[in-house]
Amino acid sequence: MAGETTSGRPKQRAAARRMTRRQKQASTLIDATSSGWKLMLFKIVVLGLLCATAVYAALVLFMNQRWLVGSLVIVGAAGLTWIYLKRGALPAKYLAPGLVFLLIFQIFVVLYSGYVAFTNYGTGHNSTKDHAIQAIMLQAQERVPDSPTYEVSVLEDSGELLSTDELYLAIVAGDGEVLIGSEDEPLEPSSAATVQDGRVVAAEGYDVLEFNELLNRQTEITDLSVAMSEDPNAGYLRTQDGRRAYVYTSRYIYDEMADTMTSSETGTVYSDTGEGAFVADDGEQLLPGWRINVGLDNFVNAVTEDSIRGPLIYVTLWTFAFAFLSVATTFALGLFLAVVFNDKRMTSRKYYRLVMILPYAFPGFLSALVWAGMMNQEFGFLNNVLFGGASIPWLTDPWLAKVSILIVNLWLGFPYMFLVCTGALQSIPEELTEAAQVDGAKAFQAFRSIKLPLLLTALAPLLISSFAFNFNNFNLVYMLTGGGPRDVSAGVSVGSTDILISMVYKVAFVGAQADYGLASAFSILIFIIVGTISVLAFRKTKALEELN
Amino acid sequence: MRTHAPDIFRISAVLSISALALTACGGDGGDNAANADEADGDGDTAAPEAAGELEVWVDADRADVLADAASDFEDDTGIAVNLVQQDFAEVRDQFVSQVPTGEGPDIAVGAHDWLGVLVTNGVVAPVELGDAAEDFEDVAIEAWTYDGQVYGVPYSIENIALLRNADLVDQAPDSFDEMIDLGEESGASYPFLVGLDAQTADPYHLYPFQMSFGAPVFGQNSDGSYDAEELTIGNEGGVEFAQWLSDQGEAGTLSTNIDGDLALENFVDGESPFLLTGPWNVPAAEEAGINVEVDGIPAAGDQEAQPFAGVQGFFLSAQSENTLAATTFLVDYVGSPEVQQSLYEVGGRAPALTESFESAMAEDDIVAGFGEVGAEAVPMPAIPEMGAVWDYWGASQAAIINGEGDPAGLWEQMSEDIAEATE
Amino acid sequence: MAVTAPGSTLIAGEQTTAVGSARLRRQRYPRAEKPALARRPFKKWWRETGWRHLVGAGVVVFSVFPLVYVLSASLNPGGTLISANSLFSRVSLGSYVELFNRPQQPYAAWFLNTLFIGLTASAGSVLLGALAAYAFSRMRFTGRRVGLITLVLVQMFPQLLAMVAIFLLMMGISEVFPAIGLNSQIGLIMVYLGGALGVNTYLMYGFFNTVPTSIDEAAHIDGAGHARIFFTIILPLVSPILAVVALLSLVASLSEFVIASVLLRDPERQTLAVGLFQFISQETSQNWSVFAAGAVLAAVIPVALFLLLQRYIVSGLTAGSVK
Repeated sequence: MAGETTSGRPKQRAAARRMTRRQKQASTLIDATSSGWKLMLFKIVVLGLLCATAVYAALVLFMNQRWLVGSLVIVGAAGLTWIYLKRGALPAKYLAPGLVFLLIFQIFVVLYSGYVAFTNYGTGHNSTKDHAIQAIMLQAQERVPDSPTYEVSVLEDSGELLSTDELYLAIVAGDGEVLIGSEDEPLEPSSAATVQDGRVVAAEGYDVLEFNELLNRQTEITDLSVAMSEDPNAGYLRTQDGRRAYVYTSRYIYDEMADTMTSSETGTVYSDTGEGAFVADDGEQLLPGWRINVGLDNFVNAVTEDSIRGPLIYVTLWTFAFAFLSVATTFALGLFLAVVFNDKRMTSRKYYRLVMILPYAFPGFLSALVWAGMMNQEFGFLNNVLFGGASIPWLTDPWLAKVSILIVNLWLGFPYMFLVCTGALQSIPEELTEAAQVDGAKAFQAFRSIKLPLLLTALAPLLISSFAFNFNNFNLVYMLTGGGPRDVSAGVSVGSTDILISMVYKVAFVGAQADYGLASAFSILIFIIVGTISVLAFRKTKALEELN
Repeated sequence: MRTHAPDIFRISAVLSISALALTACGGDGGDNAANADEADGDGDTAAPEAAGELEVWVDADRADVLADAASDFEDDTGIAVNLVQQDFAEVRDQFVSQVPTGEGPDIAVGAHDWLGVLVTNGVVAPVELGDAAEDFEDVAIEAWTYDGQVYGVPYSIENIALLRNADLVDQAPDSFDEMIDLGEESGASYPFLVGLDAQTADPYHLYPFQMSFGAPVFGQNSDGSYDAEELTIGNEGGVEFAQWLSDQGEAGTLSTNIDGDLALENFVDGESPFLLTGPWNVPAAEEAGINVEVDGIPAAGDQEAQPFAGVQGFFLSAQSENTLAATTFLVDYVGSPEVQQSLYEVGGRAPALTESFESAMAEDDIVAGFGEVGAEAVPMPAIPEMGAVWDYWGASQAAIINGEGDPAGLWEQMSEDIAEATE
Repeated sequence: MAVTAPGSTLIAGEQTTAVGSARLRRQRYPRAEKPALARRPFKKWWRETGWRHLVGAGVVVFSVFPLVYVLSASLNPGGTLISANSLFSRVSLGSYVELFNRPQQPYAAWFLNTLFIGLTASAGSVLLGALAAYAFSRMRFTGRRVGLITLVLVQMFPQLLAMVAIFLLMMGISEVFPAIGLNSQIGLIMVYLGGALGVNTYLMYGFFNTVPTSIDEAAHIDGAGHARIFFTIILPLVSPILAVVALLSLVASLSEFVIASVLLRDPERQTLAVGLFQFISQETSQNWSVFAAGAVLAAVIPVALFLLLQRYIVSGLTAGSVK
């Protein structure tokens, strides 16, 4: 443990100084014993495999020109090798395996959200500009009304030596004349062609491609547009399946040089003005657009969004209340049950414990749906049986719905708390509790003064993270009430059981269209709120922790 | 440990080099594939040979049927069709997020009301059906047309109709009021049932009644497509409908406490002669021995009670590198009577292809019943803003049925909210 | 290697205590309890255990009642989830039979996959988490406190975009190592292991803290290396919490839906959460009965694991050893 003083910070040095001689002795021993040859061999094999994998991965990545990721892989693997070969650095050795997974899979999600928050990613801005142009051009192909269907043949130049890659489309016009053309040359009559069943089967100077040859050049063929004549308004011939061709005109013409889209109907010019879409002068956007960096726009929108500003304070208060009460109720019940069934004199306790696991063993949304059914105002079990035919609006009254959601969350969450408390109770020496078993009143006193502080020390971080979980407990709200009931006359889509995250979901995904950028910006803002509170809460529990 | 360190480096270096050798072997596999491609390029091969692979996303029920079509396609063209089973409800969002990455499928199963989102995201490509378009039911093609383009090949039409327990009531009602009278005469606990959610009612199931008051949600263009600019839901008919909803809520003929499950259960138990629902609930009723008849939806207002039609089909990815093969598979295989027939047999919904539609109508009364109603149905709007529209629409309906305020006021408020959301 | 003896003495001592307490228990119960139940005055019985049964009965009703609906639905093929009139009005095993007779929806495969993925991820999480918790509990290093807090903070990030991000990440991994990328169960397990350091680490950390450092120190002096101390001395001492964490991780991976549904495409490779959802995801073809039947059978996994682990969870090993 002495080896950890890699940094020369005064604090740490002081910590090192504080170490007893015994500890130092012990740490020397650790290093001495951990270099047994078996361990060494194990290390060599594992690290060797790791490095080999990393080198391979980096090579593949470099070949795909992913320089940054490739370098990160190398650096990561080198770092790991260094950690395990270095003397000391014990904490790093113990933390590294978990951290690797954490960094790759969790931090990446966070970073990705962070990145998306600065883009306009969402419906209509889903991909790159190239994809957007391609999609617009595809969608803009409009078949000329009442134009005929042509049986088409795809040709290429014949002759082994002279052959180019150029492809041609050949059709038989209405008057029986064979027309051949390519991307660069409009359709021209050709006399030396053989027609069979209305389709060109051979043409002089050309080879007719067979079906499997078509398949090998699919993209080229489906991208091919052959002008009907010199007149650009006559449209062009395209085929999607290599056998039938139709005459199309395009609603938009893309000018690659100017980077503009021009409507062929109205002549409106749409240009890329840096908004992530082609935009006309009057502000009309041509969708699909593409993803661009929008700076802080999403954050500004998140803060100024009208549909949120009204109910924001109300929803925030309820979110806190919901998260706090959820933790408080589940913990109270879980702890109570854990204590009750922690008594060795009770032989049947294992059966009770088993039953209490059950709510935890079923899919949460299934349970939420069952509860919703049980809380039905007219036919639900609660009103019909428990309350003898009363008509209690469990889920439709703004206040009762809040109570209901807490009850359901209690049902869903207490087994977790029960398990955790049962586990934690085992760490408290029996002797401490012997006294507690003398009689009821004293038992509670003893519990409060001895066991509870110990339990809280161990469980405080868990309670904080449980608070955070419920703060973002989208699923429950969505399954049980959908955020409702809501005041329709107020004209907002936010209901009385909506918490921040479900409100964000409505704004970013249900409202108009999916807006990942806005959702990410909200995620970050919510994270800042709940994170700050949690850190403050941790500060509070620090005192508790030091007790141990 | 310190003394050994250099050895370790040496050994790990050796290991990594041997791994590199392995890698090189692995790389050969890829090269072989490339060689095969070149061989194809020579064009000497006469027999069809695998030139690529189509990836098709399909839900579990459809997978079996397409498997046959896929193997036919492979026999005919040499192109393998890789059927990837996806959960139907997940397909839309997965498709939108995966197509741009290049990992998406060539073809995917879906519903027509996704088109707005898919087209706006630029992930689907139009499919020119050519003359084949005429072989499909009008409503199917209309539904699969977005912004003037057909975006796929439809296979089934789905709509609601009125289920009647013929043992309780032996005649089809002509109007909503007549239906209620008949239902009350029958002595059943509920004269009529439709599943409604306590929070969001059900604009989809209530739409025929709304239409009967002459209040479609949007105006329609001449080609049958919706004009999202022209919001007609808040017109006079709409306000009348709101009043009607409120009256029915008060009278108890509509109750938001009876959700879809309860409605079905009561119908199946013979507690109600009428249930407004789709073909998906027919098997449960028949299994329970109910003598089910399918009737047209009785109008509550003075116009026809047109329901929404949902049309399912297959669409083509805008980023497909196998457009030619994919189009062939869609138009010539999925669009063939055999496949449409088998899709009908597995799903029980009216086929989209007219030939199959008619044969299904002829052989099955239930399908015929739904089909007749469906022929008059209007496609569900597919514009991307529908999410917001359903949201406001449903919440307001629930509030009106539950008597939470002035029906006309709530309806007008809703109309304004929708107008704002669709702007 | 020569240092094994002292270490093992210590462990042996440990076992003696455990065995001792077990023996004690065994002796106490047969002799005292059964006859006592009859002879013990009711008042005393009530005060000691009786009221606990009353609490237990209440909890059993509260816990089980909603699940009775699920069981009832599973026995009523073609029925709905919420039955207004009567539970168990029809009883048939049809849905359970159907569950295993759908070639497109291979329930048996899902079950085994879930078992494999759940157990592997759970074991991995316990190992990774315990390693980290040990470091946090026993070592003092720069950034320790910040690190601890960060672990929990990371888990608080709203996961609205997790699906898109994880897909992109796994696609990247697929490019290099297809075997652990998209559509691979190993890939999914790795994603789950990403959450191994987090709340559960904290849970273990708290528990490690209750094990006196004097035990480690004694072992050090006896010459045991850190790895040996960790694996053979500390881990057995904290087995209750390891068992709890194993169970929690298993349930978490069992019910995880979003990531599994994105990563696993092939029905043969999917998990129960993803597979079962297909039965009800489409509003127009919901099959609640089959879904409920699947959920009932799926619940066997966590329940069985709990039964297996129960004796560790409640063994109270440390109680005997610490003092």
